[in-house]
Amino acid sequence: MTTARKAGLISCHVCHSLNRYPSTFPTASKRPQQMTCYVCGSVIHSRIPNSLSKTWALTLAALILYIPANTLPIMTVVMWGDGHPDNIWSGVMTLLHADMWPLALLVFIASIFIPIAKLLTLLGLLISIHFKSRWRPRERTQLYRLTEFIGRWSMIDIFVIGILVALVQFGNAASVTPGMGALSFAAVVVLTMIAAHSFDPRLIWDVLEEPIHGQ
Amino acid sequence: MIQEHTGATDYRRAHACHECDLLQHIPPLKSGDVARCQRCGALLKRLHHNSLDRSLALAVTGLILFLVANLFPLISLKALGIAQHGTLVSATLALFDAEMPLLGLLMLFTTLLFPLFSLLGTIYVLSVIRLGHITPNIAPLFRFLRSTDAWGMLEIFLLALIVAAVKLVDITEVIMGISLYAFVLLIMTLTTLSLTLNPDDVWDKLRAQRQ
Repeated sequence: MTTARKAGLISCHVCHSLNRYPSTFPTASKRPQQMTCYVCGSVIHSRIPNSLSKTWALTLAALILYIPANTLPIMTVVMWGDGHPDNIWSGVMTLLHADMWPLALLVFIASIFIPIAKLLTLLGLLISIHFKSRWRPRERTQLYRLTEFIGRWSMIDIFVIGILVALVQFGNAASVTPGMGALSFAAVVVLTMIAAHSFDPRLIWDVLEEPIHGQ
Repeated sequence: MIQEHTGATDYRRAHACHECDLLQHIPPLKSGDVARCQRCGALLKRLHHNSLDRSLALAVTGLILFLVANLFPLISLKALGIAQHGTLVSATLALFDAEMPLLGLLMLFTTLLFPLFSLLGTIYVLSVIRLGHITPNIAPLFRFLRSTDAWGMLEIFLLALIVAAVKLVDITEVIMGISLYAFVLLIMTLTTLSLTLNPDDVWDKLRAQRQ
């Protein structure tokens, strides 16, 4: 098994073209970070620079914002002057009580299950790399792939709020205003999306090329 | 199917997995074939017959549907003798009005700017490749389109529209707007487009030009 890095090649992150790592590298004038792909021109690197620090920072920021996202109201429905704040959990319960369980399930998965699963997956991947784990690299890569693909669907609640705020504007009779919980939740979704993007799954596999300690 | 790569002699024909960095050779594929990494299972390459022409047709269809979807209301509410119409842009405007500029910006980018730019950019890139004289701006433009692909979220907006309609149907009269049909067709077109457009085909054209 040979990786591109061992063969002296760098795979472009955007167009997946292989670029040869120059053997006589003019380190003083041109640092590796400034190499560009010969096909698409994007900046190339064998591994995403500072991938772990970036992912840790973004994941922890998302974890902190996850608290106000769930405790502060995401929107307030005012009917005849009677305000009724909604948070993420009560939004799911409202749908459930209205006998709309397929939609309640959808919102539950998008707004509660996916964000938690995503934060835990990112933390788990970061910790597994920190401890140089050799455990099931294939499954961990698949988990990463799923996390990266599915994260954006959490935006559904933010869009529902946007639509309700736009539609329910009947003066004193009924109106909907967005709350700070919505902003925090949107930040969680955006931060975890960027976190997943800055994580380099090749780090899962790099440890397999190092010799096992104590053997 | 996929043989392990030995030696780095013809590296420009080899393929490195973008998820685990394993170097391997992909055998010639037939239309509809998919090559996966032998170590981690990531999608390496797929081959579609005539992917670029079909994608161009779908992108043009998508642009027309996007414009129609923005012309008329997607959904309307009727209560107390007042009708409220919701278009694609009104959710963005409402969030700005409600003094949530960051949410408004997020909405503006994910439901309007990125989808529109993605359609226009795809049409431009594919037309230029179709005409056969590749200009230097194609590579950075297509690179930008690929990296912002995940941020166009119209299909999520459609689901949100359904959830919002169900939440409101008990309280007031909900009327489907004319543009909703165009919007549903738009989502179907965009989904087909993302399955049809094979970015490798575009990069292969650029690669052929650089070698």
